[in-house]
Amino acid sequence: MKEVVVHPERCVGCMQCMAACASAHSRSKNLFLASLETPRPRARVHVGVGLYNEGFPNRCRHCDPAPCLLACLPGAISRNAEKNTVFIDPNRCINCASCAMACPFGVIRYHEDFTAPPGKTVAVKCDNCYERQLAGLIPACVEVCKSGALSFEEKADAMKRKTDEVARTVSAGVAQVDLAPGFTLLNAIKRQQIELAR
Amino acid sequence: MEREANLNYVIIGNGVAGIHAAETLRQLDPNGTITMISDEVFPPYCRPMISMVLEGAVPPEKLPIRSSSFYEEFKIEPVLGNRVSAVDVDNRAVSVNGKVYPYDKLLIATGADPRRIKAEGLELKNIFFMRTETHVRQILATLPTVRKALVLGGGLVGFKASYGLLRRGIQVTMLIRSGYPLSMQVDSEAGRMVWDELKAHGLDVRIGVEATAFEGKDSVTKAHLSDGTLLPCDMVVIGKGVFPARGLVPKEKIKVDAGIVVDEHMETSAPGVFAAGDVAESIDIARKSPWVNAIWPEAVAQGRIAGMNMAGRRTAYKGSLSRNVIRIFGMDVMTAGLITPPEAEGFDILKVADSRAKTYRKMVFKGDRLVGMVMVNAIEQGGVLMSLIQSETPIRAPREALLKPCFNFKQLMQM
Repeated sequence: MKEVVVHPERCVGCMQCMAACASAHSRSKNLFLASLETPRPRARVHVGVGLYNEGFPNRCRHCDPAPCLLACLPGAISRNAEKNTVFIDPNRCINCASCAMACPFGVIRYHEDFTAPPGKTVAVKCDNCYERQLAGLIPACVEVCKSGALSFEEKADAMKRKTDEVARTVSAGVAQVDLAPGFTLLNAIKRQQIELAR
Repeated sequence: MEREANLNYVIIGNGVAGIHAAETLRQLDPNGTITMISDEVFPPYCRPMISMVLEGAVPPEKLPIRSSSFYEEFKIEPVLGNRVSAVDVDNRAVSVNGKVYPYDKLLIATGADPRRIKAEGLELKNIFFMRTETHVRQILATLPTVRKALVLGGGLVGFKASYGLLRRGIQVTMLIRSGYPLSMQVDSEAGRMVWDELKAHGLDVRIGVEATAFEGKDSVTKAHLSDGTLLPCDMVVIGKGVFPARGLVPKEKIKVDAGIVVDEHMETSAPGVFAAGDVAESIDIARKSPWVNAIWPEAVAQGRIAGMNMAGRRTAYKGSLSRNVIRIFGMDVMTAGLITPPEAEGFDILKVADSRAKTYRKMVFKGDRLVGMVMVNAIEQGGVLMSLIQSETPIRAPREALLKPCFNFKQLMQM
């Protein structure tokens, strides 16, 4: 089963994943029409700024066992084993924020959504673009990511690639192999700027 | 090799600790016999949601968190409608209403009972506790005749009762013995913010007062307060906290403190007898001392751990941590761990308040560990802080960054 993998060292903080996510979770599924919808569609992936202005796409890890699922009072949170995805049922959600307290990654937000009863605030988070996957599409955040910070692949493949990358850094005769050269340079410059400004 | 005979598991209590233990047991041991004993006959339901039924936000039929076929599905024999009268540790059996149920492994997940108060006239009608689904049904049935309600206690229950009654259009007076509402959950600053919010929405809060006597012909009509006031009211809700329901435990056989004392495997001092949920006393991660944390998420965690250990899978429980999240009108309050630490014991406190944005944050550190936090509004990332407290992660990132309303996960990573 393919899953979304985050490569934080490659994130430039462009936030295109957020726009794509919001539009994928809108009625119209179209970025321009989505911006006119009520309630306004919102992203379920959250790009934050690190200490040195580097980006980090924070999204639901779909943990197993999921702390939010265990903490959910009305039993609105469930796990779909086939897609390894944790879902929140907007009809059962009571907006108690118990899941916000349980989520170790802080990825759950509370707002109105077109899938929820009108006017009702509910807990909202990443659903791995379940509907898109059923339609044969990959998750919207991955589709739109230009820097390779998000990929959709078999976890085993991603891990093998990473293991190889790390292994190459200790090969004989190699001084240092940078895993993401351009991004490291960019982050180094950002870091310098911030430290100079202080 | 001959297979061991099927084990007899008995679970006392069908609250959330009990059902999670039962489900875990069934998952790990498909053949064991599971008997579940409870005095409540309603299907397993979500206790924290009863206040939402009072408020009218949730219909009573949405309370159950398991289907009516739960017991059949998990091959559990339910024994409902009666409390366990005795636990016989020596002969490994419990008795209910004269009938004896032998056990190999026993889980005591009896939860907690509302704390009673001392006052005259408590036998009058329309004086209620709010702990079970039955209590709320009784309260709802009397609502049409009620115009003025008196709520005793400024803790979570008193608080949710007041909120629910206010939303039903009833005048509510709340009596709080301590200096501010939710004094067990929040610090004085956050308590003050909560108080302001309540007052703004028409709740009459009286601080440092208790009810001493109730008057009325058949049902309650007046309450005498400790400051000499006579207050007319036609309903009283008592929310003075809960205490562990440990009356059935033989104290000479099983170690009991405030709650039933358990080790890291949720096992009591009697081998084969486990305890979980509001009745159990475990080590508090932030306080580093035994403590009863009677909250839903710990009941779930403890129920699962107890179930695993009962089925023979030795799993350790790290300890419990107090925490709560409350939504009051337009205000969100989240707290976790040690909030008002004892003075002069090496705790550092960081605070930031923004009166215009109505936000407040307080972090309590001990050394390089976060041990407690209070957040008012902008609580979305509170779970990250909660898990830092729970995992006792050394914080190397600048502490001030954690006070920002939208700190980033990456700020916590050591680059």
